[in-house]
Amino acid sequence: MNISAQSISLWLAAVFGTVLVAAFVLFPGFLPPMSPEMSSGEVAEFYAENKTWIRTSMVVFDFCCVMLLPLFMVVVHHIKRMRTSTDVFAYCYLSAAASGATILAIANLFWLIAAFRPERNPELLVLLNDLAWITFTAPVGMIIAQNLCLALAVYLDQRPDPVFPKWVGHFNIATAVLTAPAACAAMFKSGPLAWDGLISFWLRLTLFAAYIAVMFFMLRRAMRHEALELQRAPELVPA
Amino acid sequence: MSATTETRPAPAAATSTDTLEGKRDLSICWWITVVFYGLFGVIFVPLTRLMPPPGPDMSTAQITEYFQGNRTGIQIGFVVLMVAIGGAAIAAGLIAYQMTLMSVSKIYAYSYITTLAVGALPGCLLGALAFLAAVFRADTDPEVLVLLYDVAFLTFVGSLGCFATNYLVFAVAVLQDRNGIFPRWLAYVAIWQIVTEVLAAPVFVFRSGPFAWNGVISFWEGTILFGIFLGALIRLSRTAIRRQPIEAVA
Repeated sequence: MNISAQSISLWLAAVFGTVLVAAFVLFPGFLPPMSPEMSSGEVAEFYAENKTWIRTSMVVFDFCCVMLLPLFMVVVHHIKRMRTSTDVFAYCYLSAAASGATILAIANLFWLIAAFRPERNPELLVLLNDLAWITFTAPVGMIIAQNLCLALAVYLDQRPDPVFPKWVGHFNIATAVLTAPAACAAMFKSGPLAWDGLISFWLRLTLFAAYIAVMFFMLRRAMRHEALELQRAPELVPA
Repeated sequence: MSATTETRPAPAAATSTDTLEGKRDLSICWWITVVFYGLFGVIFVPLTRLMPPPGPDMSTAQITEYFQGNRTGIQIGFVVLMVAIGGAAIAAGLIAYQMTLMSVSKIYAYSYITTLAVGALPGCLLGALAFLAAVFRADTDPEVLVLLYDVAFLTFVGSLGCFATNYLVFAVAVLQDRNGIFPRWLAYVAIWQIVTEVLAAPVFVFRSGPFAWNGVISFWEGTILFGIFLGALIRLSRTAIRRQPIEAVA
């Protein structure tokens, strides 16, 4: 087996990321996203009527979302290749990725628990539904920390042929800035900042998907450059 | 390609030792791992009686009675867990360190650490917290108790992806490693555990039978396999520690 850890990690993210997009489409509460203004009766009806597809799609989320972590660990590897004064941003990025994945892993469980007993008291279903949506949408700080650490590392990279081009830094800053307002989903029930809104739902998720896709291709590029570099100067292989 | 780029040299036979001397740090981590998983068993089986789990098909009255009857054990057991859970981090660090000695990229070790960091929260602590909240007050609404009961078991048995990803990166690293840190069969057991995680997915649907959270497949098969894997991992990491050369002793 000579396929590199980087290739395996990137393809895991590509395959499971695609599966996640399919699960997104299959979840009855995403297209269109459920409104925070639904009454408890409507929420109870939603879970009773859609329990099969809620369970199917969210089990897929449960199983697949952490499969994106290895891609983030490839980012860590490439931040360490950059010529900055220390490796500190690599470890900050690693730490943020672990906590961010934990949030995602918890959010889907609330939807699954709600769908497990749809006959539950509707007030408790609303509670679980709120916990799921708020956990899924509002805690954006970890992905923002990832974006900022990567951006700073890209800007500070002193290599003559940088690991990532400067625009990857700009892209990460833009992603961080545009993702941040989604935190307000924890307090708005309608409008673009609500969890079903243009900013908190559509913009945030589109950016997240775009981030994974862009990083997939940029990491493949960085991986090829690394391989060429090592062919030219094998003595640079880190111990 | 990068399989060769991120390689560590195999420990040279001349410097290899078969001793624990001079490896006090690894020895300490190993013993913490042993004590942690020992405590884990005591907490989850006799004390809190979360394992083997009661079924999802218990009535509201039975669930209320289950919490009331086990109140003391749940409180003692999970208060101990609140402190002891840190042992899971040390166990993860010990194995991740072994992975950095393999002839493979450190990316696998990073993924191993982060996936277990995820697993500790939804896969272990969240269920314990739900149990503690359920017995905190004597007069909690029975419907809320059922909710906390579901939260505990569905997160404990149903956190699939973090552990599946963890077993996957571990298995691939062991199979690609040419330094022989762990035997290849351990990777196959890890791969079997990924299958087990997939087989646990129906816990979110079934309230009785082999696929319910207390079922033969979802609980017993998975738990027995996990026990075998864990026992082997602990035993084999002892061997790995004994064999590896002492790193720079300053």
